[in-house]
Amino acid sequence: MDTPNFQQTVEPDLVARLQRGELAAFELIYRRFERAAWTLALRLTGRADIAQEVLQDAMLKAFERARQYRGEASFAAWLRKLVVNEALMQLRHDRLHVIEVFDDTLAVDESPAPWMHADAATLERALHRLPDAARAVLWLYHVEGYTHVEIAEQFGRSVSFSKSQLARATRRMRELLQPQLQVEVTPCTIGSTTTS
Amino acid sequence: MHDRLDHDFMKYPRNHDPDEAALGDALRALPASTPPRDLWPEMAARVRRRSVARKAVWFTLPAAFAAGIALTLAWPQFHRHATPPAFTPVTTQASSHAATPRANNLDALQASSQQWQAWVQKLDHDGAPLDGRQLTQAVALQDRIGLVDLQLSAARNPSTSADLWQQRITLLQQLGLLHLQPYLVATQRAAGNDHLISM
Repeated sequence: MDTPNFQQTVEPDLVARLQRGELAAFELIYRRFERAAWTLALRLTGRADIAQEVLQDAMLKAFERARQYRGEASFAAWLRKLVVNEALMQLRHDRLHVIEVFDDTLAVDESPAPWMHADAATLERALHRLPDAARAVLWLYHVEGYTHVEIAEQFGRSVSFSKSQLARATRRMRELLQPQLQVEVTPCTIGSTTTS
Repeated sequence: MHDRLDHDFMKYPRNHDPDEAALGDALRALPASTPPRDLWPEMAARVRRRSVARKAVWFTLPAAFAAGIALTLAWPQFHRHATPPAFTPVTTQASSHAATPRANNLDALQASSQQWQAWVQKLDHDGAPLDGRQLTQAVALQDRIGLVDLQLSAARNPSTSADLWQQRITLLQQLGLLHLQPYLVATQRAAGNDHLISM
């Protein structure tokens, strides 16, 4: 029952019960998707406290807005979109105004991709050390399958923003997974830097 | 934007760069995480609180309106017993959780609740006795006030607290109205008698 991803099918009867406001149906759906929603929220936000808020707010919206679900996509996909929206909204409110300035003059690293040999814990640590926007873009693009156009729409930014964040996130991951190549980064507020 | 979420799992091999493709593979292979504890009880409590708050909002204004009319009718009989608080319902953002109630709004709600409680206590002490049915209703209302007090003790954010304080005020108003019912009945009987006499 507890498959921790959004590829599960939800029975139409269960969705109908949720749409009628049955708390028991909501609990079944909540428990079925709790890990998937938590994992997605944690990957996007990088912080457990924020991920918890995202999980609860998104699930609450799923319960209260269940009648808005029309069945055009799968219920799991609809729920996942709620989680993504909620996570990005939290980041937008709290922390997305701060991004890192990267040194774009660094030469392209031709060394073998270090993530191919990194264990999961190391990879996860590196992911969490990415700046918020870069991490979210990296995850949405590679794991959730968003296009740059869709990411740009989600962030309310340009397509080039999405592409540059992805490129920088990839380079930063390489740096973080190759400690000898780590460079210092400086937090900076959007609008006061040249980040494109 | 099209809803791309149903078919995204099919388009992963979209990176022409093998390094990037490998990064995508590595990220997707990360194990799922688990919340630090079971968060369902909090979720369920939150759903119930919001449900109660929503019902209270629908009830508050009609209840205040009805209470105003009742007070007007019963005033001649009643004024010697107690003076109720000003009948201006304190509005909250119970239906709009995006807005955070300001602290002064919360203070106003608490003050209003205290005033209504003092009024109800005075009615209970000095007012006309309730019949059996009214007494049952009064006990049920007091139970609900007790439940709200319990929820208030666990409320974590100002928005929730404001909703609960508003519910408490509404329940106190209902309780006060219940104590006024004997006077209302007396007023209606008197009016009926006047009508019969005038015929």
